[in-house]
This record gives sequence, C-alpha cells and structure tokens, in this order.
Amino acid sequence: MTEALLFLVVGAVAVAAAVMMLLSENAVYSALFLIINFMCVAFFYLMLDAPFLMMIQIAVYAGAIMVLFLFVIMLLGAEKLGEPTREFRWLAPLALALSVAFLVITGIAITQGQIDLQGPQTQPPLVRVAHAASNAGPVDVYADGQLIAENVAFKESSGFLPLAAGEHTITLNAAGTDTALLSAPLTLENDPERTVSAFTLVAYGDAPAVSLIPDNLETTEDRSGRLTIFNAFDRPVDLWDMGSEFNPDDDRAITSDLAPGASVELPAISENTDLRAWRFTEAGSKEAALFRLNNPDVFRIRRDEAQMLVLVSERVLAGTEQDLVRAVAVPLLSRALPSFGGPQAVGELLFTRYMLPLQLVAVLLLVAMIGAIVLTHKEDFRPRRRDVRRRVAKPLAAAISTQVGRDVLQPGLETPKLPPQEEEQPQPVVD
Amino acid sequence: MVQIEAYVILSAVLFILGAMGVLLRRNAILVFMSVELMLNAANLALVAFAKQWNQMDGHLFVFFVMTVAAAEVAIGLALIVAIFRSKRSIDIDQLHQMEG
Repeated sequence: MTEALLFLVVGAVAVAAAVMMLLSENAVYSALFLIINFMCVAFFYLMLDAPFLMMIQIAVYAGAIMVLFLFVIMLLGAEKLGEPTREFRWLAPLALALSVAFLVITGIAITQGQIDLQGPQTQPPLVRVAHAASNAGPVDVYADGQLIAENVAFKESSGFLPLAAGEHTITLNAAGTDTALLSAPLTLENDPERTVSAFTLVAYGDAPAVSLIPDNLETTEDRSGRLTIFNAFDRPVDLWDMGSEFNPDDDRAITSDLAPGASVELPAISENTDLRAWRFTEAGSKEAALFRLNNPDVFRIRRDEAQMLVLVSERVLAGTEQDLVRAVAVPLLSRALPSFGGPQAVGELLFTRYMLPLQLVAVLLLVAMIGAIVLTHKEDFRPRRRDVRRRVAKPLAAAISTQVGRDVLQPGLETPKLPPQEEEQPQPVVD
Repeated sequence: MVQIEAYVILSAVLFILGAMGVLLRRNAILVFMSVELMLNAANLALVAFAKQWNQMDGHLFVFFVMTVAAAEVAIGLALIVAIFRSKRSIDIDQLHQMEG
C-alpha cells in the first residue's frame, strides 16, 4: 500500500516536472525541472531493486550531463529565444494528436494485450552432488538418464548445475560403469523466497541413500558467511562451541540432536569467528567428541561464501584389526551470489557476458571525446583567418611608413628593443 | 507491490512528453533535453522489465544507454556551440530558414 502511494506521488512529480520542462520559457528552468524528473526516475530505480543504476542515474545524469547542459545554456546565453517565428503552425496540434494517439495505443497494448507480463521468471534451481558414502567408490550421477556429475570421489562435490524444477529420477552409478548403486525419485522445487534456489544432493550412508539439502546462496551480511551443517554420520550429533578449554561455563550449543540425514542452516556467522573451539559430539554427551574443527586453514568462515559442513563417517584401516569408523567433517564451499541489481552483480555481468559491448562503448566514448574537441576547436572552422589578418596588416604597415617617412617593412631594419629581460620581441607581421 | 504495467505506462507518458518536446520546442538545447527525457523513459521501462523477469540484463542495457547518452550529449552540445558561433542562434526554425 505504501509502495503504491509512493509510486503515485513520485510518478505525479515526475510527470509534472516533465510537463513543466516542456512549458518553461526559460531554458535554465527547463534544465532544473529535468533534474527533478531524473531524480524521480532514480527513485523508481531504487523501488525496482536497481540501487547501482540509481547511483549512476544521479551521478551521471542528474550530475554530469545536466551540469553540462546548464553550462552550455549559460555559455551561449540561450536562456530565452526571441519572438517565435513559427513556420510550421500546424505542427503543434498534429504533435499533440499523434502523442495522444500513441499513448492510447500503448495503454491498450499494455492493459489489454496478450503480453505475458505476469509472474516473475524464476531461474531453474541449481544442484550439485556431494559424495559422503564412505564405502562407495567414485560415482557418476544421472538425472533422468542425463549425466549431471561425473566421477565424484568420496568427500568431494561437483559444481552447481541448473536442473529444471519438477520430478526427476536420480541414478548413482559406480564411476565409468553401468552398475547402478542407487536409483531414487527426487522432486525439485523453486523456493519462492529466493532469487535462485540451490540444492546439494548428498549421497551418504552404508547402503547409499540420497538426500536433497537446500543451500542458501543469497548474499550474506557484511563480512560474514553462511554455514549449513548436514549430518551424514550414523548417530545423532551435537555441535558445541567449547570456548576456552579450561572454562566449562562458556560452552555453548550451536545445534543439538541433529539426526542422521538431517541438516540445519546456521544464522550468518562473522568471518572472524574462530571455529577451532567448535566440536561435534555424540548427542547428549558433551565429552564424547567426534570431530574438532581445529584446522583453521580448512574450517574457516569467509565472507560471501556459503559453506556446507558434512559430517561423514570414514572407514580407516579397513580389513585390519584396527578397522574403525571415524567422523570427518567435509567443507563444501560455494560462493554466495551477488545481490540483484547491486554493483557486484552488474560488474560480473559487465565483465563476462557484456565484455564486447563494454569495449565498443568505451571506443564510442573516446570517439565522442575526440569529436567534441574537433567540433569546438575554433581554427578548423575559420581556416582563412590568417590570410585575412595579413591582408589587413599590409596597408597598415604602409600607412605607418608614410607617417614615419621610411619603409618599416624593409628587411634588415633595426627594430627598437627593450633593454633588460626582454628575450623575444613579437616580430611585426612581414609578408 | 506496484504492478509492472504502472511502470510501463509511466514510462510511455514520459516518453511522449519527451517526443512532444522534440517536436514543439524551438530551442535546440531543449530539443536535446527532451531526447534525454525519452532515453530516460526507455530506461525506466527496461529496469521495470528486468525486475519482472528477474534478469539483470536489462540493467546492463540501461548502463549502456546511459553511456551512449553521455557521448551523445558531448557531441550534440559541441555541435550546438559550433552552430551558435557561426549563425549566432540556436533557434531551430531560424536555422532551417537560414539554410545554405
């Protein structure tokens, strides 16, 4: 409701400013009204999730371009034109009629036309595959018979791939073979809350099972990252922040009783957070530590990164007497997507998909710069100016020579000089 | 949530006001300003569609339109200054009459 009201008010101001720009006799007022109009448009950019464009609109349009206009108006003294010498009297009513006709046709086309303007287009969900099943070798993953991830080894993950929303059948084959380890139905749904829905398909367990974990790739708050925990271990776990080793009172539960096959997304974590004090324990017993995140090179919160921490069981020394299963935490990193309309997103597109247009526009600006210099350079428009001066100079010299009584243009004639610091006397014009 | 149609209609209105400025004003500088208004109206529609389709490409188009507009203004104003120097006027009708 507030938004509609704002739209109406600012829209009315924008249209009024445009009309006043048209009607003002004084060009300076017109320019100022146009600046108001640009400001209103900048406000609409903000309402339409385009903060970067709003910035440029104000800085480049309302700032640089309009100042240039004002400068030229002042420079030429062209605020007002004289009496109208209208030649095309029929133009005004015709223009008015055509404009109204155009507006009516556009209005009908927008409101009545069968143009599909409804419902925002959502991008297909992104899916990656993570391998957390310790006793399966590398796998190939197919969705409806189509390869989506090839040769994913244990504790590794594939990159994000777009996969159409809807029902899919996921098949896991041992890498390079046709032996299906697992075949499972899967339903992908777009999260309406997010611009891009991302999922991680985790294969885990002794008899591999797959689980679809939603990933949050939205931009994080300043200087913080995201952490999603997935439990692929065979027991429920707790996650503790132990704080200081020697002070049992500052222990803090990050998440508790996370069942096997369950995931939890933690709130944004500051990038300075020390994860070394964090440890996974068996649910209910704080002392039975399964895994400590004590390697700051591996377990670290970085800004603008979404990290999924998969707690997997890994067999060590299989087939020997010490055969045992231990817990390992696997970090799966992915970069958070830049926010819609922000400078980062615009920059990314600009330097990837729109690189060539960017170069062309840069060349265009260079040409425009040179063109402006050439056009305003005086000499080019009065090429014969020097000749004119010479023609004037000669009779003048002759007049002086008659008054003085000797030929001033005679070559070799001594010209009077000022004594001290005068180095270069401007030479009299000699033909 | 303001409907996309509202933005497009506003954009059309601004565009028409700009077009009328081009047709009706005699001051060459005002004609140029009206062209800027038309470009801005088109930009507004592009940004509205970008929001509707959730695609950033519209924003990039607006970015390029702004760059081209800056180049156009630089050249256009240079031309106006040059014409003013030689004809002492920027009245479009007079320029038309003084043709040659």
